[in-house]
Amino acid sequence: MVITSMKQQGKDIGLCLCRVCQQLNTTGRTHCLRCETELKVRDYGSLQKSWALLITAAILLVPANLYPITILTNQGQVRHDTIFSGIVHLVHSDMIPIAIIVFIASILVPWVKIIGLSIYLCAISFNLPISKKKLMVGFHVIEWIGRWSMLDLFVISLTVALVNMGQLLDAKPAPAATAFALVILLTQLAAKILDTRLLWDRLENQDDTN
Amino acid sequence: MHENTVENSVTLCRSCDLVIRKRALPSGVRALCPRCSTALYDTPYCSVNGMLALCITALVFYFPANFLPVLEIHFLGSVRTTTVFQGAFAVFNQGYWVVGLAVLAAAVLGPGLLILSILAQILIVKWGLSIPFWRDSLKQLLKFQGLLSQLTMLEIYVISFLVSSFQLSDFSDIYFGMGTFCFTMLFLVTLFLQREYDLEHMWTLLDGHH
Repeated sequence: MVITSMKQQGKDIGLCLCRVCQQLNTTGRTHCLRCETELKVRDYGSLQKSWALLITAAILLVPANLYPITILTNQGQVRHDTIFSGIVHLVHSDMIPIAIIVFIASILVPWVKIIGLSIYLCAISFNLPISKKKLMVGFHVIEWIGRWSMLDLFVISLTVALVNMGQLLDAKPAPAATAFALVILLTQLAAKILDTRLLWDRLENQDDTN
Repeated sequence: MHENTVENSVTLCRSCDLVIRKRALPSGVRALCPRCSTALYDTPYCSVNGMLALCITALVFYFPANFLPVLEIHFLGSVRTTTVFQGAFAVFNQGYWVVGLAVLAAAVLGPGLLILSILAQILIVKWGLSIPFWRDSLKQLLKFQGLLSQLTMLEIYVISFLVSSFQLSDFSDIYFGMGTFCFTMLFLVTLFLQREYDLEHMWTLLDGHH
């Protein structure tokens, strides 16, 4: 359901929404009327923080994909599995549905998140003429799917706790697990910290329904 | 008061700062921002007693869910089990404390704190709103509500039971334990609790009692 609007930004008429409790405040206030959080009409610094977090996450994505994420010992044979080779093994052992779930959670979601967020941040930083509406829908999708990457870490923790029978059958986490955990944390923070209202200011001189 | 008259008829979109005239909504309908389709507000569906019942049910399931075996492996005559808590602890003990903390926060601490926080809020709303100390505690709890509900990832953990059991079934026989049932129930009860809970409604309860 869509409701009528006045096609005005809040800061034009001296109003500002608290980012913590969504209370409407006049821009003259320094702290929120309701929850006493510091008010910012626009958080310009959030763009830089978001870039910093995103670039760090993008760098960490390389070790997360190149290094092994689990070490599996099966009857004396040691196997180092990266995220990708783990999925290939699942495909070879005829578990296609599970392979698809793991592929989406561990490869597709982190990449989509990092590429999507960088497009979004570029659009704000460099005033790119991309439809704001599409960017915002994309941003909501990224916010929602981001958490599903945790699936792989949960699976690793269950497997490591369950399978510890020495030379017979044994699973251990490997360095990529930490890098992968940090990728999830940093990309979630980058999306959370960003003040999305900046996007709608930057392109204001163009038609905002484009 | 200028501020109060404006407040009742107008709101701002939290993502794009558009000024929006508020309308009464039929129940079960959610208002979306006409410019960027962010969810703005919906009709409060927030029964305090219903939430109290769900909170207590969730607490009943919480401890068995985290401390009873969720997966069982039968391997060459030996039986190993693991719990959700041990899963987080196992990766921690292997030296991957970042991963361990992430799993612990998302699967054990997050849900626990979320349930306790909502329980405390309900008790304050029911009996403590006239005492300044409890009002202040409620305000602090409400400020952390958004973070806690983002930290809770029960739905992802439930899927990870399935994924790890399928993955390990390649090596030996896997059985679900009592913990799996309790954890799934904890997930369902928390899901309904979060659907019932409305942060904006809780803030108005605090506002309305001066």
